[in-house]
Amino acid sequence: MALVQQPAGPAASTAAVPPVPPAPAGRRRRRVPAARQGRENLTAYLMIAPMVILLSIFVAWPLAYSVYLSTFKISFYQEPEFVGLDFYGYVLESAGFWHSIVVGLYYALLTVPTIMALSLLLATFIKSLSKRAAAFMKTTVYLPAVMSTVVTSVLFVFMYQDEGVANWLLGLLSQGPVNWLNDPHLALPAIAIPGIWLGFGISTLIMLAGLLDIPDSYYEQAQIDGAGWFTQLRHITIPLLKNVLLYLFVTGFTLAIQMLDLPLIMTGGGPVEATNTPNLYIFDSFRDLTPYATSFSLTAALLLFAVIGAISMVVFRLVRSDKAVDG
Amino acid sequence: MPARLPRQVASGVLMVLITVSILFPVAWMAIAGFKGRTEVLRSPFQFFPDMWRFDNYAKILQDPQFARAMVVTFVGALLFTVLSLTVNSLAAYAFARLEFRGKRFWWVYCITPMFIPTMAIMLTSFVVVSKLNMLNTLAVLIIPGAASGAQMFFLRQFYLGFPIAVEEAALIDGASRWQIFTRLFLAQSGAPFVVMGIASYLAYWNAYVWPILTITDPNLTQIMQFLGNFRSDRGNQWELLMAGSTLASLPTIILLLIFQRFIVNGVRISGIK
Repeated sequence: MALVQQPAGPAASTAAVPPVPPAPAGRRRRRVPAARQGRENLTAYLMIAPMVILLSIFVAWPLAYSVYLSTFKISFYQEPEFVGLDFYGYVLESAGFWHSIVVGLYYALLTVPTIMALSLLLATFIKSLSKRAAAFMKTTVYLPAVMSTVVTSVLFVFMYQDEGVANWLLGLLSQGPVNWLNDPHLALPAIAIPGIWLGFGISTLIMLAGLLDIPDSYYEQAQIDGAGWFTQLRHITIPLLKNVLLYLFVTGFTLAIQMLDLPLIMTGGGPVEATNTPNLYIFDSFRDLTPYATSFSLTAALLLFAVIGAISMVVFRLVRSDKAVDG
Repeated sequence: MPARLPRQVASGVLMVLITVSILFPVAWMAIAGFKGRTEVLRSPFQFFPDMWRFDNYAKILQDPQFARAMVVTFVGALLFTVLSLTVNSLAAYAFARLEFRGKRFWWVYCITPMFIPTMAIMLTSFVVVSKLNMLNTLAVLIIPGAASGAQMFFLRQFYLGFPIAVEEAALIDGASRWQIFTRLFLAQSGAPFVVMGIASYLAYWNAYVWPILTITDPNLTQIMQFLGNFRSDRGNQWELLMAGSTLASLPTIILLLIFQRFIVNGVRISGIK
């Protein structure tokens, strides 16, 4: 995961919206002669054409096609049959769909707050370091973020083996070896650990940038008043980082609920569906060859992600307008 | 100041502890690549191998599938990076600096995809690329993801910050918009191009789900696809898998080390506060 989430799959970024400084959005109409305006129109169209064409083919068309197909009953053996919004009903009545949402929410609950707390602690620590030490720590903290999910998954499966590192560490605490990925109660937490490891780097850097914007005088004043570390955290840091925290919470949540690669590689959704996240559920039902699975999975994807897309759009607007006010 | 020294020692110790625990999984992976087959999951646990073997690394490098996957993925990632920087920076310049009919509409059209989660369109994207006969070509990995609303947005923010006076002077001197874009804007785009280029490179290099959907030709197998399939294809040869994973992570780690200043500052460039 880099600064801007950009899956090299079908276009469209995920919900990780890059937070951006306020931009003068107003038009700067310059008075230009008609001939030049015409040429300028042409230049502009040529410049945006590659982008517009690619997005039309690989985002707009697939999206429209999803909506269209979700209203048909598709089976290999029969002509597609128009069923209107029936599949939306089937998805909402499906136990598997709701179970996957519960799994997704549980995964988000395990990862997002942990990442945020960890990032805040690390950022506070890095802020207290000298310039050179801080530069070193920033690179260290960011390293897991450039690792691939596949490598991370494989690596953690290796560490969770019966004779692996994880069980050796448990052994030091004289606890018996645990079957991490085959125990329905442990599997999701065991997947959350690499999830946290992959995700905390970027949020630490974002929090650090936020911390550096808080004037030192606030803390100096607090120290004179005798406020301890925790009081400073509660009354200065957290309130002043409110926007950053909100941003990280929502982007973290929307990314977490879309987790696919880790459970796909580490457990394939098992044991007994304990790690079947919404994306994995949809992905598997698409690959499933039972009749109507295609329409079902398309409908489920649309339903779930209309909500997530709407959430990230609202937050994006909030963050931007906020910036415009205090920027 | 006498109080300073203990504090420095304490933060030094903390730094070492944090660094070790963050980097432990990566180090563990690299070291496992040096172990023998029976040593790699031996109990009692042992951190370092009895004897450092280089033959796992040599063996995986000589595996024609692995070597090919590394090369094919590298080439694909470079093409993807160049294409996405080109497409997105052109549009970013037009939206930042030009006035044209329908600008508002096209702006919303290009920016909305940012809010469409991948999975919502991935399944029908698969149908679309198969209708376009793109399955099992490098094009299916490079072209569909190249246009990115988020990248375009980021570059546009950067271009909006350019002084407008220089551009107007160039226009009066008779420079065309294309000349201004290539000679003035691109020449100044180093830092954002590094940040965005790395984002593209990483996204391509680390991609897994899209390649497993669209590529079945063994000649085009992508590196993460290779590693993901390794256990089912070749059984639990952990020492080879760990050596391969280490080698497959090297390009991204090297990128991070070379450009760490840009990446870390990228958080500031992108305006997160």
